[in-house]
Amino acid sequence: MHSFKLISTFIKINIQMAVAYRADTVVNILLNLMWLGWELLTLSIIFSNTQTISGWGFGELIALLGVFRLINTMMVALIWPNTEKFNQSIRDGSMDYTILQPVNSMFLVTFSRITIWRIWDLILAIVLITVGINISGDLVTPLSIAHFILLAFSGVVIIYSLWIVLIALTFWFTKFDNNVTILHALIDAGRYPSTVYPIWLQIIVTFLIPIAVATTVPLQALRGDLEGWRIIMFFAIGIASFIVASQVWKRGLKQYSGASS
Amino acid sequence: MFNIFKRLWQVNWAEQWQYRANLAMYILYWLVSPIIYLSVWTSIATANGDVNGLTANDFITYYMILLIVDQLTSNIIIHIFGYKVQDGSLSGELIKPIHPMLTNTLVNDIAFKTLNMMLLIPIWIGLTLLFKPQFDSVSLGGIALAIPAIALGYAINFLLSGIITSLAFWTTRVYSIHEFYYALIMLFAGQFVPLQLMPAVIQNIARVLPFQLFMYLPIQIIQGNLSAQEITQGYVTGILWFIAALIGFRIVWRRGVKQYSAVGA
Repeated sequence: MHSFKLISTFIKINIQMAVAYRADTVVNILLNLMWLGWELLTLSIIFSNTQTISGWGFGELIALLGVFRLINTMMVALIWPNTEKFNQSIRDGSMDYTILQPVNSMFLVTFSRITIWRIWDLILAIVLITVGINISGDLVTPLSIAHFILLAFSGVVIIYSLWIVLIALTFWFTKFDNNVTILHALIDAGRYPSTVYPIWLQIIVTFLIPIAVATTVPLQALRGDLEGWRIIMFFAIGIASFIVASQVWKRGLKQYSGASS
Repeated sequence: MFNIFKRLWQVNWAEQWQYRANLAMYILYWLVSPIIYLSVWTSIATANGDVNGLTANDFITYYMILLIVDQLTSNIIIHIFGYKVQDGSLSGELIKPIHPMLTNTLVNDIAFKTLNMMLLIPIWIGLTLLFKPQFDSVSLGGIALAIPAIALGYAINFLLSGIITSLAFWTTRVYSIHEFYYALIMLFAGQFVPLQLMPAVIQNIARVLPFQLFMYLPIQIIQGNLSAQEITQGYVTGILWFIAALIGFRIVWRRGVKQYSAVGA
């Protein structure tokens, strides 16, 4: 309840910030549409040259683009602005004030900045997923939709947890302000089914920086490619990674000693 | 003049050398897209035998050469110059009797590029071991013929980016304009796919635009895929664009500096 109230306050503040820079918001939305056009063009070029790409059809890649955009929105609307603020607060010591608040500091650090106009991107993502699945003609059952939502959710949690671990490292290594670059650089790999990549890259995007777990895997569940035990496993990994991340965050906080000491 | 450049090089090299730790991250950004496209297209080519006559090896060599050519023809002047107009630190450079963009910024960009190449080349060799490209069609003559095209591509890209960065004299939204410019490069330079696989409309437009000199044209010359006539055509288009960009840059720059009044004025 408490967190819910806080989030709505954060959103209110961020709407005010977005309204203050109206023209920028409009320009950003136009650029975003331009990139969407580009992404659809690249898919149509691919499929004017082939029927499938490692077993996936046109509709399925549109749906994958939608899932990718979910994760990408999380990256640019949440991870990027909050990390910038967090790194700044470690450098100048304003992290002190965050810790003093009577709220979970991990929550405060990760949700205080939200690039609000990107919510439009989430709607677009859901449209892409729905349209894509329709085009693909895949047989979708209520159960497979439930699997999809479950794994998409745990994929988001896994990326969120990885983010927590990466920024928590800054408590130990103060100069490590490139902390989320590796996540940001590899995120583009989520645009295509991970089975397209050479095996070493598959290992990187599945185990090291698990972009594919948040993009390819939920759609595999929707297509019915995953056995039941795998679905349970990926969900369990989601929960486990969140627990690990919170522990790392707690340890990191103990390590933090302010900018002046 | 030579002494000025020598001195600028020492300063800018030292400046870029400080940031060598960030370089690994920058290179990582650099590598991801071409490797993704390489994987996508080789997987399609392997599954179908070929894509419009292009084999898996054609795609591997295309993107492997692209990694180098793209690095050579691109620039970062929007990042090393744009903010100077906005925060007023350009003033100090304007009173010097040398052109801020064509000397200091140029040398800084080349220093950055040199440092990048020092890291990129070992990684590139590592990647050739992973992807095993067969450079049968690549000849020394092709590389020699491509070098002027790469230089021309760098010069045109530098001047066009210079024009866009100079728009900072008028607007605070240069970064958005630059993003649009970047999208044009993605579309017409052959980064996503060799241009011959693009829709015919885009190919025809790309032929009269300068962007193909940034990637597609030099790569194809190196691969030995172009006839003498096509190469000549590419060079002529490039030289015309170079002249146009140079004139455009001079005009925009001169007007911009007149327009410029530093923060606090």
